[in-house]
Amino acid sequence: MFKYTVSAILALLLSAVVCATDIYLSLSAHGSRMEMGAAGFVPQTPTIEESKASREILEVLLSDLLFSRYFNIVEDGPLYTGKDEELKIWAERGANILICGRIRISKGELILTVQALDIGSKQPIWEKVFNGKQQDIRKIAHEANDDIIQRFTGERGIASSQIVFCNNKTGFKEIYICDYDGYNVRQLTFDRSINILPIWSGTSILFTGYRNDNPDLYSISDSGGKRRVISERQGLNTAAAPSFDGSRIALTLSMGGMPKIYLIAPSGEMIKRLTFGSYSDTSPSFAPNGKEIVYTSDSPGYPQLFIMNVDGGNIRRLPPRGYCDSPAWSPRGDKIVFTMRQGRGDKYDLFVYDLPSGEITRLTQNEGDNENPSWSADGRFIVYSSSRAGGSGLYIIGADGSGRRALEKMAGRSYMPDWQK
Amino acid sequence: MNKKILLLVALVFAAGCAKKQMIKPSEEPQAAVEAEDTTEPSVRFKDWQPVVELSAVVFDYDSVELSAEARAVLKRNSEYLKSHREFVALVEGYCDERGTVEYNLALGQRRAQSVREYYGRLGVSLNAIGTISYGEEKPVDPASNESAWAKNRRAETKIRLSQSK
Repeated sequence: MFKYTVSAILALLLSAVVCATDIYLSLSAHGSRMEMGAAGFVPQTPTIEESKASREILEVLLSDLLFSRYFNIVEDGPLYTGKDEELKIWAERGANILICGRIRISKGELILTVQALDIGSKQPIWEKVFNGKQQDIRKIAHEANDDIIQRFTGERGIASSQIVFCNNKTGFKEIYICDYDGYNVRQLTFDRSINILPIWSGTSILFTGYRNDNPDLYSISDSGGKRRVISERQGLNTAAAPSFDGSRIALTLSMGGMPKIYLIAPSGEMIKRLTFGSYSDTSPSFAPNGKEIVYTSDSPGYPQLFIMNVDGGNIRRLPPRGYCDSPAWSPRGDKIVFTMRQGRGDKYDLFVYDLPSGEITRLTQNEGDNENPSWSADGRFIVYSSSRAGGSGLYIIGADGSGRRALEKMAGRSYMPDWQK
Repeated sequence: MNKKILLLVALVFAAGCAKKQMIKPSEEPQAAVEAEDTTEPSVRFKDWQPVVELSAVVFDYDSVELSAEARAVLKRNSEYLKSHREFVALVEGYCDERGTVEYNLALGQRRAQSVREYYGRLGVSLNAIGTISYGEEKPVDPASNESAWAKNRRAETKIRLSQSK
Protein backbone atom coordinates (compact mmCIF):
# COMPACT_ATOMS: atom_id res chain seq x y z
CA MET A 1 0.00 0.00 0.00
CA PHE A 2 2.72 2.36 1.12
CA LYS A 3 4.95 1.44 -1.79
CA TYR A 4 2.18 2.23 -4.23
CA THR A 5 1.58 5.58 -2.59
CA VAL A 6 5.24 6.44 -3.00
CA SER A 7 5.36 5.30 -6.57
CA ALA A 8 2.20 7.23 -7.34
CA ILE A 9 3.77 10.38 -5.92
CA LEU A 10 6.94 9.65 -7.86
CA ALA A 11 5.00 9.12 -11.06
CA LEU A 12 3.28 12.46 -10.61
CA LEU A 13 6.52 14.30 -9.94
CA LEU A 14 8.36 12.61 -12.71
CA SER A 15 5.64 13.17 -15.28
CA ALA A 16 6.08 16.87 -14.59
CA VAL A 17 9.78 16.45 -15.26
CA VAL A 18 9.10 14.60 -18.49
CA CYS A 19 6.91 17.43 -19.76
CA ALA A 20 9.40 20.10 -18.86
CA THR A 21 12.67 18.62 -20.02
CA ASP A 22 11.81 15.53 -21.97
CA ILE A 23 13.64 13.13 -19.69
CA TYR A 24 12.63 9.54 -19.36
CA LEU A 25 13.21 7.76 -16.06
CA SER A 26 13.24 3.99 -16.10
CA LEU A 27 11.11 3.37 -13.03
CA SER A 28 9.90 -0.08 -12.30
CA ALA A 29 6.26 -0.55 -13.15
CA HIS A 30 5.52 -2.75 -10.10
CA GLY A 31 5.82 0.02 -7.56
CA SER A 32 9.26 -1.10 -6.44
CA ARG A 33 11.71 1.48 -5.20
CA MET A 34 13.94 3.65 -7.30
CA GLU A 35 17.53 2.45 -7.74
CA MET A 36 19.58 5.41 -6.57
CA GLY A 37 23.33 5.55 -6.97
CA ALA A 38 25.32 7.76 -4.61
CA ALA A 39 28.53 8.84 -6.26
CA GLY A 40 29.78 11.55 -3.97
CA PHE A 41 31.12 14.98 -4.78
CA VAL A 42 34.06 16.05 -6.90
CA PRO A 43 36.63 18.24 -5.09
CA GLN A 44 36.92 21.53 -6.96
CA THR A 45 40.17 23.12 -5.78
CA PRO A 46 41.12 20.22 -5.30
CA THR A 47 42.58 19.69 -1.81
CA ILE A 48 42.92 16.73 0.53
CA GLU A 49 40.56 18.62 2.82
CA GLU A 50 37.89 18.69 0.15
CA SER A 51 38.43 15.06 -0.65
CA LYS A 52 38.00 14.07 2.99
CA ALA A 53 34.92 16.25 3.37
CA SER A 54 33.47 14.71 0.21
CA ARG A 55 33.79 11.23 1.70
CA GLU A 56 32.30 12.28 5.01
CA ILE A 57 29.29 13.92 3.38
CA LEU A 58 28.72 10.87 1.22
CA GLU A 59 28.87 8.63 4.30
CA VAL A 60 26.28 10.71 6.19
CA LEU A 61 24.09 11.08 3.12
CA LEU A 62 24.15 7.34 2.44
CA SER A 63 23.18 6.63 6.02
CA ASP A 64 20.30 9.14 5.78
CA LEU A 65 19.07 7.80 2.45
CA LEU A 66 19.16 4.22 3.70
CA PHE A 67 17.34 5.22 6.88
CA SER A 68 14.58 6.88 4.85
CA ARG A 69 13.75 3.57 3.10
CA TYR A 70 12.48 5.42 0.04
CA PHE A 71 15.11 4.16 -2.39
CA ASN A 72 17.23 1.16 -3.19
CA ILE A 73 20.72 2.53 -2.73
CA VAL A 74 23.55 1.54 -5.07
CA GLU A 75 26.99 2.19 -3.61
CA ASP A 76 30.69 1.95 -4.42
CA GLY A 77 30.78 3.40 -7.90
CA PRO A 78 33.14 6.08 -9.21
CA LEU A 79 32.82 9.82 -8.78
CA TYR A 80 31.09 11.39 -11.75
CA THR A 81 33.33 13.96 -13.40
CA GLY A 82 31.39 14.13 -16.66
CA LYS A 83 32.76 11.00 -18.37
CA ASP A 84 30.38 8.53 -20.02
CA GLU A 85 32.31 5.50 -18.76
CA GLU A 86 31.64 6.61 -15.16
CA LEU A 87 27.90 6.65 -15.79
CA LYS A 88 28.17 3.32 -17.56
CA ILE A 89 29.53 1.67 -14.40
CA TRP A 90 26.61 3.05 -12.37
CA ALA A 91 24.15 1.89 -15.03
CA GLU A 92 25.69 -1.60 -14.98
CA ARG A 93 25.15 -1.70 -11.23
CA GLY A 94 21.47 -1.03 -11.73
CA ALA A 95 21.25 2.62 -10.78
CA ASN A 96 18.90 4.80 -12.76
CA ILE A 97 19.36 7.98 -10.73
CA LEU A 98 22.77 9.22 -9.62
CA ILE A 99 23.36 11.58 -6.72
CA CYS A 100 26.54 13.45 -7.55
CA GLY A 101 27.96 16.96 -7.58
CA ARG A 102 30.83 19.16 -6.48
CA ILE A 103 32.43 20.32 -3.26
CA ARG A 104 34.58 23.35 -2.51
CA ILE A 105 36.07 24.52 0.78
CA SER A 106 37.32 28.07 1.04
CA LYS A 107 38.33 29.76 4.32
CA GLY A 108 36.28 27.33 6.42
CA GLU A 109 33.20 27.76 4.23
CA LEU A 110 31.91 24.66 2.54
CA ILE A 111 29.98 24.89 -0.71
CA LEU A 112 28.28 21.70 -1.78
CA THR A 113 26.49 21.39 -5.12
CA VAL A 114 24.24 18.34 -5.22
CA GLN A 115 22.78 16.98 -8.43
CA ALA A 116 20.37 14.19 -9.19
CA LEU A 117 21.22 12.87 -12.62
CA ASP A 118 19.10 10.66 -14.84
CA ILE A 119 21.64 8.05 -15.86
CA GLY A 120 19.77 6.99 -19.00
CA SER A 121 19.66 10.45 -20.56
CA LYS A 122 22.72 11.84 -18.71
CA GLN A 123 20.63 14.87 -17.87
CA PRO A 124 20.53 16.54 -14.44
CA ILE A 125 16.96 16.55 -13.17
CA TRP A 126 17.66 18.49 -9.98
CA GLU A 127 20.43 20.61 -8.54
CA LYS A 128 20.86 22.57 -5.33
CA VAL A 129 23.73 24.40 -3.64
CA PHE A 130 24.29 24.07 0.11
CA ASN A 131 26.52 26.48 2.04
CA GLY A 132 27.76 26.21 5.57
CA LYS A 133 30.65 26.18 7.98
CA GLN A 134 33.12 23.38 7.40
CA GLN A 135 32.55 22.01 10.92
CA ASP A 136 28.80 21.70 10.25
CA ILE A 137 29.45 19.04 7.67
CA ARG A 138 26.91 16.55 9.07
CA LYS A 139 24.24 19.24 9.16
CA ILE A 140 24.93 20.12 5.50
CA ALA A 141 24.69 16.44 4.52
CA HIS A 142 21.39 16.07 6.43
CA GLU A 143 19.98 19.13 4.66
CA ALA A 144 21.01 17.73 1.28
CA ASN A 145 19.29 14.46 2.16
CA ASP A 146 16.08 16.20 3.23
CA ASP A 147 15.96 18.17 -0.02
CA ILE A 148 16.67 15.08 -2.15
CA ILE A 149 13.81 13.28 -0.42
CA GLN A 150 11.55 16.27 -0.92
CA ARG A 151 12.45 16.28 -4.61
CA PHE A 152 11.54 12.61 -5.09
CA THR A 153 8.65 12.12 -2.67
CA GLY A 154 7.09 15.56 -2.28
CA GLU A 155 7.65 15.45 1.49
CA ARG A 156 10.74 16.78 3.21
CA GLY A 157 13.13 14.31 4.80
CA ILE A 158 13.64 14.23 8.56
CA ALA A 159 17.44 13.98 8.81
CA SER A 160 17.79 17.59 10.00
CA SER A 161 15.49 17.00 12.95
CA GLN A 162 16.69 16.68 16.52
CA ILE A 163 15.57 14.62 19.49
CA VAL A 164 15.39 15.82 23.10
CA PHE A 165 15.52 13.38 25.97
CA CYS A 166 16.45 12.90 29.57
CA ASN A 167 19.58 11.13 30.88
CA ASN A 168 20.88 10.41 34.40
CA LYS A 169 24.62 9.86 33.84
CA THR A 170 25.53 12.82 36.07
CA GLY A 171 23.55 11.29 38.93
CA PHE A 172 20.68 13.68 38.14
CA LYS A 173 18.10 13.59 35.40
CA GLU A 174 18.97 16.40 33.00
CA ILE A 175 17.69 17.36 29.53
CA TYR A 176 19.83 16.53 26.48
CA ILE A 177 19.50 17.00 22.74
CA CYS A 178 20.98 15.07 19.81
CA ASP A 179 20.65 14.80 16.04
CA TYR A 180 18.12 12.27 14.74
CA ASP A 181 20.95 9.80 14.16
CA GLY A 182 22.26 10.05 17.72
CA TYR A 183 25.24 12.26 16.85
CA ASN A 184 26.04 15.64 18.37
CA VAL A 185 24.72 15.03 21.90
CA ARG A 186 24.56 18.19 24.00
CA GLN A 187 23.46 18.70 27.60
CA LEU A 188 20.89 21.50 27.88
CA THR A 189 20.27 21.70 31.65
CA PHE A 190 22.68 21.59 34.58
CA ASP A 191 20.23 21.88 37.49
CA ARG A 192 21.42 18.92 39.59
CA SER A 193 17.75 18.42 40.45
CA ILE A 194 15.15 16.38 38.50
CA ASN A 195 14.32 17.45 34.94
CA ILE A 196 11.93 15.23 33.02
CA LEU A 197 9.39 14.95 30.19
CA PRO A 198 11.01 17.24 27.61
CA ILE A 199 8.84 18.05 24.59
CA TRP A 200 9.36 20.29 21.58
CA SER A 201 7.34 23.45 21.17
CA GLY A 202 8.56 25.02 17.95
CA THR A 203 12.30 25.61 18.36
CA SER A 204 12.11 25.59 22.15
CA ILE A 205 11.67 22.72 24.57
CA LEU A 206 9.20 22.41 27.43
CA PHE A 207 10.05 20.23 30.42
CA THR A 208 9.12 19.65 34.04
CA GLY A 209 11.80 20.50 36.60
CA TYR A 210 12.08 20.33 40.40
CA ARG A 211 14.73 23.06 40.69
CA ASN A 212 12.38 25.28 42.66
CA ASP A 213 11.06 22.46 44.91
CA ASN A 214 7.86 21.84 42.97
CA PRO A 215 7.39 20.09 39.59
CA ASP A 216 7.15 23.28 37.50
CA LEU A 217 6.96 23.69 33.72
CA TYR A 218 9.92 25.41 32.07
CA SER A 219 10.86 26.39 28.56
CA ILE A 220 14.40 26.39 27.17
CA SER A 221 15.87 26.99 23.71
CA ASP A 222 17.50 24.17 21.74
CA SER A 223 20.88 25.64 22.64
CA GLY A 224 20.06 25.62 26.35
CA GLY A 225 19.44 29.37 26.61
CA LYS A 226 16.39 31.58 27.11
CA ARG A 227 15.14 29.62 30.08
CA ARG A 228 11.86 30.73 31.57
CA VAL A 229 9.08 29.48 33.81
CA ILE A 230 5.84 28.66 31.99
CA SER A 231 3.70 27.30 34.82
CA GLU A 232 4.56 27.14 38.52
CA ARG A 233 1.17 26.36 40.00
CA GLN A 234 1.37 24.40 43.23
CA GLY A 235 1.56 20.66 42.66
CA LEU A 236 1.92 18.99 39.28
CA ASN A 237 2.82 21.00 36.17
CA THR A 238 3.54 17.87 34.17
CA ALA A 239 2.99 15.96 30.92
CA ALA A 240 2.84 19.18 28.91
CA ALA A 241 2.03 18.91 25.20
CA PRO A 242 1.84 21.87 22.83
CA SER A 243 -0.66 21.98 19.96
CA PHE A 244 0.95 21.53 16.53
CA ASP A 245 0.57 25.25 15.78
CA GLY A 246 2.10 26.15 19.15
CA SER A 247 -0.84 28.32 20.20
CA ARG A 248 -1.81 26.29 23.28
CA ILE A 249 -0.32 23.85 25.78
CA ALA A 250 -2.30 20.99 27.33
CA LEU A 251 -0.89 19.74 30.62
CA THR A 252 -1.67 18.08 33.94
CA LEU A 253 -2.13 20.38 36.94
CA SER A 254 -3.14 19.30 40.44
CA MET A 255 -3.29 22.61 42.37
CA GLY A 256 -4.20 20.91 45.63
CA GLY A 257 -6.82 18.68 43.98
CA MET A 258 -7.02 15.85 41.47
CA PRO A 259 -4.50 15.71 38.61
CA LYS A 260 -6.55 17.07 35.72
CA ILE A 261 -5.91 18.33 32.19
CA TYR A 262 -5.90 22.05 31.54
CA LEU A 263 -5.22 24.29 28.57
CA ILE A 264 -2.80 27.16 29.03
CA ALA A 265 -1.31 29.74 26.67
CA PRO A 266 2.40 29.49 25.75
CA SER A 267 2.87 32.36 28.23
CA GLY A 268 1.48 30.12 30.98
CA GLU A 269 -1.79 32.02 31.33
CA MET A 270 -4.79 29.80 32.11
CA ILE A 271 -7.19 29.23 29.22
CA LYS A 272 -9.50 26.47 30.42
CA ARG A 273 -9.88 23.43 32.62
CA LEU A 274 -10.69 20.49 30.35
CA THR A 275 -11.40 17.46 32.57
CA PHE A 276 -13.33 16.92 35.81
CA GLY A 277 -14.00 14.10 38.26
CA SER A 278 -12.17 12.37 41.11
CA TYR A 279 -9.54 10.42 39.18
CA SER A 280 -6.23 11.09 37.40
CA ASP A 281 -6.17 12.51 33.89
CA THR A 282 -2.78 12.95 32.27
CA SER A 283 -0.57 12.55 29.16
CA PRO A 284 -2.51 14.77 26.71
CA SER A 285 -1.49 14.84 23.02
CA PHE A 286 -3.06 17.11 20.41
CA ALA A 287 -4.43 15.97 17.08
CA PRO A 288 -2.52 17.81 14.33
CA ASN A 289 -5.66 19.77 13.41
CA GLY A 290 -5.81 21.10 16.99
CA LYS A 291 -9.45 20.05 17.42
CA GLU A 292 -9.06 16.95 19.58
CA ILE A 293 -6.84 15.69 22.38
CA VAL A 294 -6.01 12.07 23.22
CA TYR A 295 -5.16 11.49 26.89
CA THR A 296 -5.01 8.95 29.70
CA SER A 297 -7.59 8.69 32.47
CA ASP A 298 -7.96 6.10 35.21
CA SER A 299 -11.67 6.79 35.52
CA PRO A 300 -12.46 3.12 34.62
CA GLY A 301 -10.25 2.07 37.57
CA TYR A 302 -7.02 1.82 35.63
CA PRO A 303 -5.34 4.00 32.98
CA GLN A 304 -7.18 3.98 29.65
CA LEU A 305 -7.03 6.09 26.50
CA PHE A 306 -9.70 8.68 25.74
CA ILE A 307 -10.22 11.33 23.10
CA MET A 308 -11.98 14.60 23.86
CA ASN A 309 -12.70 17.69 21.86
CA VAL A 310 -10.35 20.55 22.59
CA ASP A 311 -13.07 22.26 24.66
CA GLY A 312 -13.26 19.20 26.96
CA GLY A 313 -16.50 17.86 25.47
CA ASN A 314 -17.41 14.68 23.55
CA ILE A 315 -15.24 12.32 25.61
CA ARG A 316 -14.97 8.81 24.16
CA ARG A 317 -12.93 5.83 25.30
CA LEU A 318 -10.63 4.07 22.82
CA PRO A 319 -10.82 0.27 22.44
CA PRO A 320 -7.44 -0.90 23.89
CA ARG A 321 -8.13 -2.54 27.27
CA GLY A 322 -4.74 -3.08 28.89
CA TYR A 323 -3.02 -0.52 31.11
CA CYS A 324 -2.46 2.24 28.53
CA ASP A 325 -0.50 5.47 28.64
CA SER A 326 1.75 7.94 26.78
CA PRO A 327 -0.47 8.34 23.71
CA ALA A 328 1.03 10.42 20.89
CA TRP A 329 -1.02 11.54 17.91
CA SER A 330 0.68 11.08 14.54
CA PRO A 331 1.55 14.29 12.65
CA ARG A 332 -0.46 12.80 9.77
CA GLY A 333 -3.49 12.59 12.03
CA ASP A 334 -4.52 9.00 11.32
CA LYS A 335 -2.69 7.09 14.07
CA ILE A 336 -2.06 7.13 17.79
CA VAL A 337 0.97 5.35 19.21
CA PHE A 338 0.82 4.40 22.89
CA THR A 339 2.32 2.05 25.46
CA MET A 340 0.28 -0.78 26.96
CA ARG A 341 0.71 -3.81 29.15
CA GLN A 342 -1.87 -6.55 29.20
CA GLY A 343 -1.46 -8.37 32.52
CA ARG A 344 -0.09 -7.19 35.85
CA GLY A 345 3.27 -8.92 35.48
CA ASP A 346 3.66 -8.03 31.80
CA LYS A 347 5.98 -5.48 30.28
CA TYR A 348 4.88 -2.32 28.50
CA ASP A 349 4.92 -2.56 24.71
CA LEU A 350 4.25 -0.05 21.96
CA PHE A 351 1.06 -0.29 19.93
CA VAL A 352 -0.41 1.82 17.16
CA TYR A 353 -4.12 2.52 17.01
CA ASP A 354 -5.26 3.30 13.48
CA LEU A 355 -8.16 5.75 13.74
CA PRO A 356 -9.84 5.13 10.35
CA SER A 357 -9.86 1.32 10.64
CA GLY A 358 -9.80 0.88 14.42
CA GLU A 359 -6.98 -1.64 13.97
CA ILE A 360 -4.40 -2.04 16.73
CA THR A 361 -0.88 -3.04 15.67
CA ARG A 362 1.80 -4.20 18.10
CA LEU A 363 5.26 -2.69 17.47
CA THR A 364 7.41 -4.28 20.18
CA GLN A 365 7.44 -7.63 21.95
CA ASN A 366 9.66 -9.37 24.53
CA GLU A 367 12.02 -6.41 24.70
CA GLY A 368 11.59 -5.13 28.25
CA ASP A 369 9.44 -2.08 28.92
CA ASN A 370 8.90 0.25 25.97
CA GLU A 371 7.61 3.71 26.80
CA ASN A 372 7.22 7.35 25.82
CA PRO A 373 6.88 6.96 22.03
CA SER A 374 7.22 10.07 19.87
CA TRP A 375 6.64 10.41 16.10
CA SER A 376 9.01 11.79 13.49
CA ALA A 377 7.68 14.82 11.60
CA ASP A 378 6.79 12.66 8.58
CA GLY A 379 4.88 10.14 10.71
CA ARG A 380 6.99 7.23 9.42
CA PHE A 381 9.19 6.57 12.46
CA ILE A 382 8.88 6.48 16.24
CA VAL A 383 11.53 7.13 18.88
CA TYR A 384 10.97 5.56 22.32
CA SER A 385 12.70 4.38 25.45
CA SER A 386 13.24 0.72 26.14
CA SER A 387 14.70 -1.36 28.94
CA ARG A 388 15.40 -4.18 26.46
CA ALA A 389 19.16 -4.06 27.05
CA GLY A 390 18.77 -3.55 30.82
CA GLY A 391 18.68 -0.01 32.14
CA SER A 392 16.97 2.34 29.74
CA GLY A 393 18.02 3.40 26.26
CA LEU A 394 16.51 5.13 23.25
CA TYR A 395 15.51 3.37 20.04
CA ILE A 396 13.96 4.28 16.71
CA ILE A 397 11.52 1.96 14.96
CA GLY A 398 9.47 2.18 11.76
CA ALA A 399 5.81 3.04 12.28
CA ASP A 400 5.06 -0.52 11.09
CA GLY A 401 7.34 -1.98 13.78
CA SER A 402 10.24 -2.78 11.45
CA GLY A 403 13.91 -1.81 11.52
CA ARG A 404 14.58 -1.04 15.16
CA ARG A 405 17.89 0.64 15.88
CA ALA A 406 19.54 2.17 18.92
CA LEU A 407 19.66 5.95 18.91
CA GLU A 408 22.49 6.81 21.28
CA LYS A 409 25.23 5.11 23.23
CA MET A 410 25.44 7.38 26.23
CA ALA A 411 26.52 6.45 29.71
CA GLY A 412 23.75 6.22 32.30
CA ARG A 413 20.12 5.71 31.40
CA SER A 414 18.22 7.68 28.79
CA TYR A 415 14.49 8.22 28.91
CA MET A 416 11.51 10.16 27.57
CA PRO A 417 12.61 11.08 24.04
CA ASP A 418 10.67 13.61 21.98
CA TRP A 419 11.23 14.07 18.27
CA GLN A 420 11.22 17.56 16.78
CA LYS A 421 8.25 17.96 14.44
CA MET B 1 -10.15 41.49 57.28
CA ASN B 2 -13.20 39.23 57.54
CA LYS B 3 -11.13 36.35 56.25
CA LYS B 4 -8.63 36.76 59.07
CA ILE B 5 -11.31 36.63 61.72
CA LEU B 6 -12.83 33.60 60.06
CA LEU B 7 -9.45 31.90 60.02
CA LEU B 8 -8.90 32.74 63.67
CA VAL B 9 -12.28 31.31 64.58
CA ALA B 10 -11.44 28.27 62.50
CA LEU B 11 -8.13 27.76 64.26
CA VAL B 12 -9.70 28.04 67.71
CA PHE B 13 -12.37 25.59 66.63
CA ALA B 14 -9.74 23.25 65.20
CA ALA B 15 -7.79 23.34 68.46
CA GLY B 16 -10.99 22.51 70.31
CA CYS B 17 -11.64 19.50 68.15
CA ALA B 18 -8.12 18.26 68.51
CA LYS B 19 -8.53 18.25 72.30
CA LYS B 20 -11.74 16.25 72.10
CA GLN B 21 -9.98 13.63 70.03
CA MET B 22 -7.20 13.40 72.58
CA ILE B 23 -9.78 12.35 75.16
CA LYS B 24 -11.15 9.57 72.98
CA PRO B 25 -8.20 8.39 70.92
CA SER B 26 -9.80 5.07 70.02
CA GLU B 27 -12.63 6.69 68.08
CA GLU B 28 -12.39 7.22 64.33
CA PRO B 29 -12.04 10.99 63.86
CA GLN B 30 -14.77 12.91 62.09
CA ALA B 31 -14.45 15.02 58.95
CA ALA B 32 -12.18 18.05 58.96
CA VAL B 33 -13.36 21.32 60.42
CA GLU B 34 -15.53 22.84 57.77
CA ALA B 35 -14.61 26.47 58.23
CA GLU B 36 -10.88 25.84 57.92
CA ASP B 37 -8.94 27.28 55.04
CA THR B 38 -7.75 24.13 53.26
CA THR B 39 -5.27 25.81 50.94
CA GLU B 40 -1.86 24.16 50.88
CA PRO B 41 1.03 26.25 52.15
CA SER B 42 3.97 26.82 49.82
CA VAL B 43 6.24 23.80 49.57
CA ARG B 44 9.11 25.67 47.87
CA PHE B 45 11.82 25.16 50.47
CA LYS B 46 15.06 23.21 50.53
CA ASP B 47 15.04 22.42 54.26
CA TRP B 48 12.25 19.85 54.59
CA GLN B 49 13.55 17.24 57.04
CA PRO B 50 12.57 13.73 57.93
CA VAL B 51 12.31 13.05 61.68
CA VAL B 52 12.18 9.68 63.43
CA GLU B 53 8.78 10.50 64.96
CA LEU B 54 7.17 10.65 61.50
CA SER B 55 7.02 7.30 59.71
CA ALA B 56 6.36 6.58 56.06
CA VAL B 57 3.31 4.66 54.90
CA VAL B 58 3.21 2.26 51.96
CA PHE B 59 0.51 1.63 49.35
CA ASP B 60 -0.74 -1.28 47.28
CA TYR B 61 0.02 -1.39 43.57
CA ASP B 62 -1.65 1.46 41.65
CA SER B 63 -3.61 2.37 44.78
CA VAL B 64 -4.13 5.54 46.79
CA GLU B 65 -6.13 3.77 49.52
CA LEU B 66 -4.81 3.90 53.09
CA SER B 67 -4.59 0.45 54.66
CA ALA B 68 -5.46 -0.11 58.35
CA GLU B 69 -1.73 -0.30 59.01
CA ALA B 70 -1.13 3.00 57.19
CA ARG B 71 -3.94 4.67 59.13
CA ALA B 72 -2.37 3.56 62.41
CA VAL B 73 0.97 5.05 61.36
CA LEU B 74 -0.68 8.29 60.27
CA LYS B 75 -2.52 8.54 63.60
CA ARG B 76 0.80 8.42 65.43
CA ASN B 77 2.26 10.95 62.98
CA SER B 78 -0.73 13.24 63.46
CA GLU B 79 -0.30 13.27 67.24
CA TYR B 80 3.26 14.45 66.72
CA LEU B 81 2.20 17.13 64.23
CA LYS B 82 -0.62 18.35 66.46
CA SER B 83 1.69 18.65 69.44
CA HIS B 84 4.34 20.50 67.37
CA ARG B 85 2.53 23.42 65.86
CA GLU B 86 5.84 25.18 65.29
CA PHE B 87 6.27 22.90 62.28
CA VAL B 88 4.65 22.84 58.88
CA ALA B 89 4.55 19.47 57.13
CA LEU B 90 5.19 18.26 53.59
CA VAL B 91 3.75 14.97 52.41
CA GLU B 92 5.78 13.46 49.57
CA GLY B 93 4.10 10.87 47.34
CA TYR B 94 6.16 8.21 45.57
CA CYS B 95 5.58 5.27 43.24
CA ASP B 96 7.35 2.14 42.13
CA GLU B 97 9.00 2.09 38.71
CA ARG B 98 6.19 0.23 36.97
CA GLY B 99 3.84 2.36 34.96
CA THR B 100 4.78 5.44 33.01
CA VAL B 101 6.50 8.53 34.37
CA GLU B 102 3.47 10.76 33.70
CA TYR B 103 0.97 8.41 35.31
CA ASN B 104 3.19 7.87 38.33
CA LEU B 105 3.55 11.62 38.88
CA ALA B 106 -0.25 11.82 39.08
CA LEU B 107 -0.44 8.72 41.28
CA GLY B 108 2.22 10.08 43.66
CA GLN B 109 0.30 13.35 43.92
CA ARG B 110 -2.88 11.50 44.82
CA ARG B 111 -1.04 9.41 47.43
CA ALA B 112 0.29 12.58 49.03
CA GLN B 113 -3.19 14.15 48.94
CA SER B 114 -4.74 11.04 50.40
CA VAL B 115 -2.37 11.28 53.39
CA ARG B 116 -2.90 15.03 53.73
CA GLU B 117 -6.68 14.59 53.77
CA TYR B 118 -6.39 11.91 56.43
CA TYR B 119 -4.21 14.18 58.57
CA GLY B 120 -6.95 16.78 58.19
CA ARG B 121 -9.57 14.32 59.41
CA LEU B 122 -7.30 13.57 62.37
CA GLY B 123 -7.32 17.25 63.27
CA VAL B 124 -4.03 18.45 61.84
CA SER B 125 -4.44 21.91 60.40
CA LEU B 126 -4.65 21.52 56.61
CA ASN B 127 -3.08 24.87 55.91
CA ALA B 128 0.06 23.57 57.61
CA ILE B 129 0.39 20.57 55.24
CA GLY B 130 1.69 20.79 51.69
CA THR B 131 2.10 18.01 49.14
CA ILE B 132 4.54 17.09 46.40
CA SER B 133 4.78 14.14 44.03
CA TYR B 134 8.06 12.63 42.92
CA GLY B 135 6.36 9.88 40.93
CA GLU B 136 8.90 7.11 40.34
CA GLU B 137 11.89 9.49 40.51
CA LYS B 138 13.25 8.74 43.97
CA PRO B 139 13.05 5.04 44.87
CA VAL B 140 14.32 4.05 48.33
CA ASP B 141 15.35 0.75 46.76
CA PRO B 142 16.38 0.96 43.08
CA ALA B 143 16.06 -2.81 42.50
CA SER B 144 13.42 -4.17 40.10
CA ASN B 145 11.61 -6.72 42.25
CA GLU B 146 8.47 -7.04 44.36
CA SER B 147 10.16 -6.24 47.65
CA ALA B 148 11.76 -3.06 46.28
CA TRP B 149 8.50 -1.98 44.63
CA ALA B 150 6.58 -2.50 47.88
CA LYS B 151 8.99 -0.14 49.67
CA ASN B 152 8.93 2.47 46.92
CA ARG B 153 5.14 2.88 46.81
CA ARG B 154 5.07 5.25 49.75
CA ALA B 155 4.28 8.62 51.25
CA GLU B 156 6.74 10.35 53.56
CA THR B 157 5.99 13.21 55.91
CA LYS B 158 8.70 15.81 56.43
CA ILE B 159 8.74 19.02 58.44
CA ARG B 160 10.31 22.44 58.72
CA LEU B 161 9.93 25.28 61.18
CA SER B 162 6.97 27.36 60.08
CA GLN B 163 8.64 30.70 60.75
CA SER B 164 11.97 29.95 59.04
CA LYS B 165 12.59 31.57 55.70
